[in-house]
Amino acid sequence: MYAAKFLIQRRSPVFLLNRVFITTKKKVHDPSEEELLPIFQYPISKSTDRRVYVWGFAETGALGIHLPRGKKGKKSYKNNFKLVWHPMRSSFAERFDITNIACGYGFTVASIKTSEQHKVFGTGINTDSQIGYHSPRRNHPLELLLSYAPIYIPYKSLECEIKAVAAGRAHTIILTDKEGVYTLGNNAYGQCGRKVNVNEEYKGSMVTHNIQKLGKENIVDVCCGQDHSLFITESGKVYACGWGADGQTGLGNYDNRSTPTAVIGDITTEKIVKVASTGDCVLALNNKGELFGWGNSEYGQIPMATTQHQVNTPYALLNFTRGLGRIVDIAAGGSFCMIVNDQGDVFVWGFGLLGLGPNVQHTATPKQIPPTLFGRNEFNPECVVKKISCGISHLAAVTNNGDLYMWGRNRQGCLGLGNTNDQHFPLKVAIGAHVLKVACSVDHSVAVCKPFV
Amino acid sequence: MQKLQLTLAIVKPHAVKNPIALSYIRQAVKSKFVVIKTKRILLDEDTAAKFYREHVGKFFYNRLVTFMASGCIDLHILGHMRAIQMWRKMLGPTSVYKAQFQDPYCLRGLFGISDTRNVAHGSDSPQSAEKEIKFFFPDFSMYQWYNDDEPCYRKGPIIFNSHLFQHVRRL
Repeated sequence: MYAAKFLIQRRSPVFLLNRVFITTKKKVHDPSEEELLPIFQYPISKSTDRRVYVWGFAETGALGIHLPRGKKGKKSYKNNFKLVWHPMRSSFAERFDITNIACGYGFTVASIKTSEQHKVFGTGINTDSQIGYHSPRRNHPLELLLSYAPIYIPYKSLECEIKAVAAGRAHTIILTDKEGVYTLGNNAYGQCGRKVNVNEEYKGSMVTHNIQKLGKENIVDVCCGQDHSLFITESGKVYACGWGADGQTGLGNYDNRSTPTAVIGDITTEKIVKVASTGDCVLALNNKGELFGWGNSEYGQIPMATTQHQVNTPYALLNFTRGLGRIVDIAAGGSFCMIVNDQGDVFVWGFGLLGLGPNVQHTATPKQIPPTLFGRNEFNPECVVKKISCGISHLAAVTNNGDLYMWGRNRQGCLGLGNTNDQHFPLKVAIGAHVLKVACSVDHSVAVCKPFV
Repeated sequence: MQKLQLTLAIVKPHAVKNPIALSYIRQAVKSKFVVIKTKRILLDEDTAAKFYREHVGKFFYNRLVTFMASGCIDLHILGHMRAIQMWRKMLGPTSVYKAQFQDPYCLRGLFGISDTRNVAHGSDSPQSAEKEIKFFFPDFSMYQWYNDDEPCYRKGPIIFNSHLFQHVRRL
């Protein structure tokens, strides 16, 4: 009884005090103060910002995405992280400004903008030291890297910039602006441009090779096939080294070449601006938009007057591409070739799922893929394909709107369409950014994009 | 009782260099076959040329020989009632560009890169299997093996030794 009375007595003054406090608060509205308040703004990206999306086979570590195994039952996808079905943002690219990226067989190499020692990073299979020497335990070099690690290259000055990177089956080529080309990795055929040592151990090797100049000229572009390398110099000459058993080196013979040598044949007098090679077939494009080809032609990739399986001398494909207009981009896969002209029309020939229908077929002449499949219609007449790229058996095209279309063999989900079914016509890949460039390899793909806002 | 048939499987250099592909192939091999012998060697071009002498003159001969000499290869003698047929079925069609559409889940469809880099080799007949085993394992006598060890590998008890990567008699 006493306690209850006490509670009532206590409560009333507290209650009163609160009310007084609230009612005495006076709201003052001042219009000028509103102007001074900060306006909330979502962060806007700079024009130099780049996003990198990766998808495909993740077990090799080539995507640089590593999900540590969780507890059983919890987040079960972590325990079975084999494929990346849809494009996934690479967190490595968020921390560094990526300038160039290249995909090899089960590994990825990326160069970043920096003035420090580590300019090139790599991830994935490292059995041939194609992404450098990494040995957390002494004398136990890593064969597989699951996330990006810096590649040590003995640059002469730290100011040099990486102009391009290229990756083959088991070798990497890094092009710098002042110091020429650095190569590392497997050199069993001479694809690194140095002498072949028959019993060389490539695992845990620290060897890099520097090629300053070719024929007294600077190198301006590099390209890797599976086991051969191609270099373009300032004057548009092409040099090749590596495996030549299919004539990939374009030197008029089928021998391996361990020093980069000027390619002969129809392209000697031309100014070549781009070479493309993924498998064993090579396409080259000159400054007039004309096409040349050499290498493997088992599926009619390099159609000559007489049928040849292996073309060891560059051959002008002028008659073959007559009437297709000026060619602006080229791509050569394992068993097919693809070109795009200045109108944005895409043409394919060769063997495989080429995007011409549900059947795996052989096409001897260039066939156009209907432009409506790349989004060109009455409402969008301006939509044209700008850039193309090929893996061994899958194809990719980037339009001027920044849309990425992919089709072909869907090995390990490398098309990024959310399934592993083969895709027989170009289909838009769901990427939340403006795609600038796409790099394809055997079983994974990488896209360099610009944020929308 | 049907005796075990032997075949020679050669895992080619590009698959040996890919740890993911190699572990998949090895898992498939050891779960389906009895592995009698395993060896990893580095071929030189002369030996490779001798091994593929039946293909002399074909357009792919040179590239096959230079490819096989480009890195380490794994040799396995596999035993099974129908070893030759089964190993070739697991491999799939010879041409990778066709195999990946005809049979996407065969070893060549999964891990092949080009028609030459087609993951593995398999003997095509009992005669060529015997010849090829003799070529790479000169001190392995097939006659003696069928006389002495065959019943043990057929009936057991055998156990898989993952260090040697072959089945051995359980003691």
